[in-house]
Amino acid sequence: MKKNSQTHYEIQRPASNVLRLTFHFLIFLLLPSFLLLSSCQKTEKPTVVYPSPDTVTICFEHTVSGNPMITDSLIYTTSLGYHYMVNDLQYFISDLAFHYTNGNEIFVTDNDSIHYTDIGIPTSLKWNIIKSHLRTGYCDSVSFIFGLSEKKNRSKRFLNPPERDMFWPEFLGGGYHYMKLNLKYKSDTMMMLMPFMFHMGIGQIYNGTSTNADSITGYVQNYFKVRLPLSGFKFEEGKKKTLTIRMNIEKWFDGTETFDFSKYAMGIMQNEEGMSKAARNGENVFSIQ
Amino acid sequence: MVSRPWILLIAITFTGLFFSCKKTQNEATVEKPTPYTIQVPRYFPNEMNIPSDNPMTVEGIALGRYLFYDGRISGRTHPDSMMSCASCHIQSHAFVCGIDNPNYPGGHPHGVTGIPTPDYMLSLCNLVWNQTGYLWNGSVYKNNPNTSKRNIEDLVWMGIVAPHEMHSDTLRAKALIQSVKGYPELFKKAFGSDRVTVKNMGRAIAQFVRTLISSDSRFDRYLNGELQLTPSEMDGFVLFVTEQGADCFHCHGGDGNPLFTTNLFYNNGKDSAFTANTHDRYYVTGNASDIGAYKAPSLRNIGFIAPYMHDGRFKTLDEVIDFYSSGLVWSPYISPLMHHISTHGVRLTPSEKADLKAFLLSLNDSSFITNPAFSKPVKFPDEP
Ligand code: HEC
Ligand code: HEC
Repeated sequence: MKKNSQTHYEIQRPASNVLRLTFHFLIFLLLPSFLLLSSCQKTEKPTVVYPSPDTVTICFEHTVSGNPMITDSLIYTTSLGYHYMVNDLQYFISDLAFHYTNGNEIFVTDNDSIHYTDIGIPTSLKWNIIKSHLRTGYCDSVSFIFGLSEKKNRSKRFLNPPERDMFWPEFLGGGYHYMKLNLKYKSDTMMMLMPFMFHMGIGQIYNGTSTNADSITGYVQNYFKVRLPLSGFKFEEGKKKTLTIRMNIEKWFDGTETFDFSKYAMGIMQNEEGMSKAARNGENVFSIQ
Repeated sequence: MVSRPWILLIAITFTGLFFSCKKTQNEATVEKPTPYTIQVPRYFPNEMNIPSDNPMTVEGIALGRYLFYDGRISGRTHPDSMMSCASCHIQSHAFVCGIDNPNYPGGHPHGVTGIPTPDYMLSLCNLVWNQTGYLWNGSVYKNNPNTSKRNIEDLVWMGIVAPHEMHSDTLRAKALIQSVKGYPELFKKAFGSDRVTVKNMGRAIAQFVRTLISSDSRFDRYLNGELQLTPSEMDGFVLFVTEQGADCFHCHGGDGNPLFTTNLFYNNGKDSAFTANTHDRYYVTGNASDIGAYKAPSLRNIGFIAPYMHDGRFKTLDEVIDFYSSGLVWSPYISPLMHHISTHGVRLTPSEKADLKAFLLSLNDSSFITNPAFSKPVKFPDEP
């Protein structure tokens, strides 16, 4: 047998040698390079690719009576006659979802669907949504939570500034401020411009009139859902899309409720009556462009 | 039987595999400094302000510690005119000079030639988490168009030349350090070259300063569930973090921000009129709303760092508490967060004041002011 095969070999020699050399050459070159190339990469699971838009950018705009808000100037007046200026505005929106005309509802997953806006931080005025699983198609509305839902509003979830500095003390319900709208106001009879901290977050129920943390008997979730209609809005495959969410500042004070600054101790974070009023007005504060 | 080419193939493949995922190690002959990782205390931010061209290394920190304490960085050798960072930044006072400092009456330091510093001191504590800017007005900050005033590194040359600090020059300083036996080797270990440069002096000292971390106060232990605060401390804490209490947390942190500072700038209502100067926040931003605003400093180790405020106007914590209770004055520039201004303060009762003070003192971290790693080295590199 052995001999035979050898003879066989000998006959085939010239051709087989070329083949063998090529074969070895290929193996020597290709196998290591294949292994080398693949060894450092994470294996990627094949994913199903749905048609989806490219980056979606949400812009945040802040206006008073239709004009871009100007900070630190005493140029605005509420229906009760309070003149006010806005100094700082910082807030969270979360659980952003697009509602498709076909009935689908798709939640943005970027950043756990939380966005922090601070008028002092220009980059925060845009939210670039990239990792989302948005699909192509027509949407008839967009919705979000103003602030953070009870589930999302966990203390110490933000350890880094600027979000960290929104923390809402544990004694007062914990988690984070939904919004800090710092302003100064003055009525015609007041001598001086006074600060007002229009802050929203988890409310407290107090036993009696005290605002002592010892007399807290319960907490109130003051976040609310906002749903804004879209018309003719379509996500097209591979295309960028921009959407502007506008906060109409004046509506915090004049809406379903008329907000009277003088009724509160220069702030409302320990005054659920004030915060719930603010929340009721808040439902109509946003519009979409 | 496996043929020889196959053995070769397998060998090549595996050698390749072995090396392919590692960085090339042909620089093994040059000694690399040992990377140092900051252990981030629980609930502290995980983002730190460390410039990418000055990574923390064991050798850099060790060198920085020598230089921080070595009066020769002022370029002088006469004991009366030597000055180091530690001449003013003293560990037992959480790195301020202290109100009882015999050299600096009232805790107001001055430079070698007697020129007082424009402002009083800031503690050096947890500075690696400051993302907004150093000094009372934050004029040393990331992305500063003036690239020589961006981080702790830069405070070193600034300190060497400042008339109210070392009042020296950088050439003299680096020449002297170069001539001290032992230093060139330490620079080589830390930065790969035994040539002393002011840049590398700055890098080393900044690395050391970034290790000055305080996270072991009574309050930290309470947050970590290791101890219970006293009833008075606890009541003080509630006051600190409630808007209708003492309302300190909006600017100074609290349970959600254990640095006890936002590192932001506010006008906290000390004065009714302001004159143009070079050290408030307005000087940096040019925004009228920053007139009279200064950084709200961390309240950690507050019991060790009197006197208080940028101008040292309060000698004791009681004076500070009285101020926030009933001493606020109105101005158009007052921060909107000082919302108790209409009553000149938060109006605390004597027992509330005592509670607030007890809480503030629970932020003292005695292990910070005694940590041997932060102390003066037993001997300098040229000492036997
Ligand atoms: C003459 C006393 C003096 C000396 C010497 C001195 N400092 Fe300071 N240091 C101060 C004072 C005063 C401040 C606050 C000044 C200000 O903000 O205007 C300060 C502020 C600082 C800050 C800013 C802290 C913060 O929270 O923003 C750092 C960092 C610092 N010094 C580091 C150093 C280093 C490093 C050295 C040595 C190279 C040094 N200092 C030498 C007095 C001194
Ligand atoms: C509006 C923001 C704000 C609020 C609210 C506030 N502070 Fe301050 N605090 C500051 C600023 C800014 C400084 C530094 C001011 C300066 O140096 O001129 C400061 C300084 C201090 C200092 C001195 C620190 C040092 O190193 O010199 C103490 C102590 C202090 N505050 C305690 C408190 C307490 C207690 C409360 C609550 C009763 C409080 N602060 C409320 C902004 C604030």
